Amino acid sequence: MNRVQNTKIILWLITGFAAAVGLNRFIFGLGATTNLTDSTPWGLWIGFDVMGGVALAAGGFVMTAIFYIMKREEFHPLVKPAVLTAFLGYMAVILGLLFDLGLPWNIWHMIIFWNPHSPLFEVGWCVMLYSAVLLLEFSPVPLEKYSRYAKIRNFLMKFRFVFVLLGIMLSTLHQSSLGSLFLIMPFKLHPLWYSNILPIQFFLSAVALGLMMVAFESLASHWLYKRKPETSLVEKLGKTVVWVLSIYLIVKIIDILAAGEITIVLNGSWESFVFISEIFISIIFPIIIFSVPKMRRNIKAQWIGSFMVVFGMVFNRINVGGLTMLSITGDSYTPSWMEITISLGVVSAAALVFLFVIEHFNIWDLKPQDPESLPHTAPSFDYSSHAWLGTPDAASLTKFSLAFVLSFAVGMALMPEKKLHGKGIEEITVSRASGIERLLINGNKDDNLVEFPHKEHIARLGEDQCAQCHHLTLPRFIENSCWECHTNMYKPVDYFKHNWHASSSGANIKCDNCHVEGVQRESKSAKNCVDCHPKYDFNNARFIGSQKYFAISYTDAFHQLCVSCHFIKADELNKQNLTECKSCHKVKIHDQVAENLKWKTTLPHFNSVILPNIEKEKNQSEMSKDEKENINN
Amino acid sequence: MSKAILTDITKCIGCLKCVSACKETNNLEMDVPRIWQKNDGLSAENWTSIIQKPGNHFIRKQCRHCLEPACVTACPVGALQKTNEGAVVYDSDKCLGCRYCMMACPYGIPRYDWDQSVPYVRKCILCFDKIKNGDQPACTKICPEGATIFGDRNELLKIAHNRIAENPGKYINKVWGENEIGGTSVLYLSDIDLSFLSYNTHLGNKPLPETTEPAMKSVPFAFVGMGGFMLGLNWIIRRRMELSKNQNEDRGNKDE
Repeated sequence: MNRVQNTKIILWLITGFAAAVGLNRFIFGLGATTNLTDSTPWGLWIGFDVMGGVALAAGGFVMTAIFYIMKREEFHPLVKPAVLTAFLGYMAVILGLLFDLGLPWNIWHMIIFWNPHSPLFEVGWCVMLYSAVLLLEFSPVPLEKYSRYAKIRNFLMKFRFVFVLLGIMLSTLHQSSLGSLFLIMPFKLHPLWYSNILPIQFFLSAVALGLMMVAFESLASHWLYKRKPETSLVEKLGKTVVWVLSIYLIVKIIDILAAGEITIVLNGSWESFVFISEIFISIIFPIIIFSVPKMRRNIKAQWIGSFMVVFGMVFNRINVGGLTMLSITGDSYTPSWMEITISLGVVSAAALVFLFVIEHFNIWDLKPQDPESLPHTAPSFDYSSHAWLGTPDAASLTKFSLAFVLSFAVGMALMPEKKLHGKGIEEITVSRASGIERLLINGNKDDNLVEFPHKEHIARLGEDQCAQCHHLTLPRFIENSCWECHTNMYKPVDYFKHNWHASSSGANIKCDNCHVEGVQRESKSAKNCVDCHPKYDFNNARFIGSQKYFAISYTDAFHQLCVSCHFIKADELNKQNLTECKSCHKVKIHDQVAENLKWKTTLPHFNSVILPNIEKEKNQSEMSKDEKENINN
Repeated sequence: MSKAILTDITKCIGCLKCVSACKETNNLEMDVPRIWQKNDGLSAENWTSIIQKPGNHFIRKQCRHCLEPACVTACPVGALQKTNEGAVVYDSDKCLGCRYCMMACPYGIPRYDWDQSVPYVRKCILCFDKIKNGDQPACTKICPEGATIFGDRNELLKIAHNRIAENPGKYINKVWGENEIGGTSVLYLSDIDLSFLSYNTHLGNKPLPETTEPAMKSVPFAFVGMGGFMLGLNWIIRRRMELSKNQNEDRGNKDE
């Protein structure tokens, strides 16, 4: 009793947690939830949920082929659970896909907008059709319970062979065309995994995985409900899987040899390590385990062997689905905890439905005793709170809902604020100004360094004027680098997020809260930031004050800072080349551009290069000279 | 009459006017550096960018508008289409957000609105509205140096080969985009190696749609074949079972 209930509580906890995260994904989008990037557009949800999920559901078509087509009657106890797993697996795939698709409400578009050249189009159709077929194939089981549906059930039973046949045909296409998906990426997928016969490899591995998934599931559910394990059936499955895995291994070896990639296998890169471990886990170890009769009969070896195939083949799907593209795209990708949570949540939800169906319908030849509704069990009593939890049935329901609600709440509480509000703005930590003589500034992060005499600037601008560069600190940041406000090299940049302030999911502020009533709504007539956020005092930020919500462009900010002094020095020292671009920019600027950049002319996109008042600056610099002399004295 | 763009790297001065013009024409919003962006300057709000390479080289990156685009083959709902004018255009009404186009593109061009709750795929569409009416794209129109020009693809190829022939030693003897993966509608003339624009340095001349074609063509055969195989297998096994059953019955009769 405890074993089932504890498992269910854990599953409910994960599901509740994932539900909270899922809500976040739909409100704030993929960027706020996932670690996907422009160079890694497919991540864990495709690699594990979709690719792995479909492969894990392969047990359905393999078992129906063995039972209905090959007439191996002894496998009868495994067929119904396998078909159920397949159906739930496909439902989980669709659910996972809904999270992953950018526009999930358009998922039905595949029905009306056709592109028969696309492998994904074929995959989509197979998912739809096969899910329908699986539903028809499985529905006689739940319908059995209700006598009023007997007619429908009999009708479905009549055509069961047709459904089975259709299911096998669709699965063949589907499993293999998941491999076809990656044929179009010969430049992205690592050569060890890319192959012209990917569809065939996918089909073979799906058959092996299907067999072992059925075995693993049988072992797991029998452990869960403390039933006698079906060791002899698993043994037979093991015997079969050795053949399938051997064919798969031979195909893989021939493929590697034919492509001349044997050197890549042994070149010691992390991909080669992944490849070798994948081969050993998914193929070689299971072959050894299941071809030794003694081990094949041992239940522990069965556990290990079946898990290895399941794990190894899902690992293969993840590798093909994106993991081994990382070194080629030059991107790094680690799934965010939210992605992992949703993946686990989808699996947990499917497992809960599986357990529910197993307990309430006639799946096994011997139905497990529903542990929560045994008549002789006493009502639950919680000793710590002295509360009756009702009948055992209601008590377990209470526990499950409590688990769900609790983890949902925790999930909501853990939602990172940065993800919600910042929506993926790159976080750059800038070290505190150290005031050393000269800094090399890589402000625009393009590795073009310019020399920046920091101390001189402090002397010239004044000790209290740090805010001119290290100006106002945005929420969530301790220090900003220049370009967090001056995000565009050439344009003034809006850092006031108007839409976020107005949206109900953001700050949820009414228009009139900032804009004065009766006056046209524009930034001039609006409240200043500091009226609502007293922390951000804009008065210290001189440049920003002029254009209320705009930070001037990066180029302008730095040109204003440097160029004024250069002009003064050029006059003082009579060195006119100080006013040229190359006196600061290490990377040579094209002469023609430099010509245009004589500070008197301004190109339209170098707009508002405001030359500071040189006279005033001169006074300042003289002042600072005096100060310097004072210090020196 | 497929149109194309020819960009001459040696002429580009990196003034970024094309980038500004693109932003204005396509109503792209201002860009903020995001964690999901690649460092090539392209983003959902930046459809063309200038990549600076050491030695005063400025390379304009944009969608290549392949003659046989992988993204068009990949899209399951046909939201991406190659038009007669040469542009690969995107229909946001059809898109379902699977991002298979982004996976399929060998140049890594399409970008995604990761920060939106209703996200779309974003990329250069060769100013399709303009070229449809006989105009030219904003980027080529504004270029002050004539570094990037618009015209008929065949004529541009001629111009490119002429330039190579007239200035021996100035260019690498290759027009980027002439033949790779079936050719592209955005061509490059260059004095440096441009293979960094794609994921692989040797793309080959085979169009990418041809890689999936055999698999897609064998779909009906695999479907019917598997069905036939299963039916045949079923028939044989049943027949065998019947035979052995009869045999057993015969034996039983004899024993009696």
